[in-house]
Amino acid sequence: MVLSKQKITILIVGVAIVVVAIVRLILSPSAGSIDAVAARTQGPAQARVNIVEFLDFECPACAKGAMEIKEYLTKHPGDIHLQIKYFPLMNMHRHALQVASYAECVSRQGKFWPFFDTLMPLQSQWSPLFSAEAIFDQIAGQAGVDMAKLRACVSSEDVPTTIMNEKSLGISLGVKSTPTYFINNKMVVGYKSLVEELNKYFPQDK
Amino acid sequence: MAVFLRIFIGLVFLISGFEKLISPYQNFLYVIQAYEIFPSGMEKAVAFIVPWIELLTGLFLILGLWLGWSLKGALVLFSCFIVIVGQALIRSLPLEACGCFGEWIHILPKNIIVFDSVMLLGTFWLLRHPAQVKRFSLDQSLKA
Repeated sequence: MVLSKQKITILIVGVAIVVVAIVRLILSPSAGSIDAVAARTQGPAQARVNIVEFLDFECPACAKGAMEIKEYLTKHPGDIHLQIKYFPLMNMHRHALQVASYAECVSRQGKFWPFFDTLMPLQSQWSPLFSAEAIFDQIAGQAGVDMAKLRACVSSEDVPTTIMNEKSLGISLGVKSTPTYFINNKMVVGYKSLVEELNKYFPQDK
Repeated sequence: MAVFLRIFIGLVFLISGFEKLISPYQNFLYVIQAYEIFPSGMEKAVAFIVPWIELLTGLFLILGLWLGWSLKGALVLFSCFIVIVGQALIRSLPLEACGCFGEWIHILPKNIIVFDSVMLLGTFWLLRHPAQVKRFSLDQSLKA
């Protein structure tokens, strides 16, 4: 039996669609639950809008997104529950892992939010630096952490493990870039999509 | 030479399209949004359609099926990529990577524009040498 060119084309397109569908099925995000780390959550747990954010503290769109969410949190404090997860992009950002380590260590002292709220607006200042440790120390100090404990924590081995475990969780959910948000379990990537999605819940803010 | 180049260009499209198709489409939508060139509604359509066009163009180039059309398709795709990345560079948009191969390979926009330009010239060259391109192709086998 000799197949015509048209039939071979249909066969190839069909096989391509089936292969992509199978691979997507195999790699489809696991429906595992995302545990909330109390120190990195904000807003009531029963809020109608639940946001889980995977971020890299050094990514510019993450800083922009952080300001946007802060505005929504200020306007609708009872309606949003936000939790932050680490997703450092070490191959793109030189401080990614270090700043995540600082964030994890200030979290352990219950000071994540004051640290985060100062860190993100200053991102354009510390990101281009060769070494930003002094700035991270300063911001952590302003947040009121115990500096001796912070230094011990930042150099401990379990901190990168915690961070990379969260990144692995993100990868298993299909996260590839930052910022990636799960808004009421719907995956939303980037600042523009974040605003579009939040506008659906808060149309009066458009 | 022509066959190797044809297969190489095909692999570039195949890998690029496949990576985007097996990932949640929101990731490629984010890449498109970063170029700030399409209206919102069109961004979503582009994020859905382009990976399939890349994958099929790549497959057809590798297998040597509908070569004339596949090469013309590759030419259009490379030209579009050059325009899209070029306008982003001219406007100094804050792109950290081109996003062309998803998260598998990170290439700076200024580097990918050189790569795409070389590929565009290569595709032109292939279009001008149809007899060489058709060696080891389905087009040739099916004609025989």
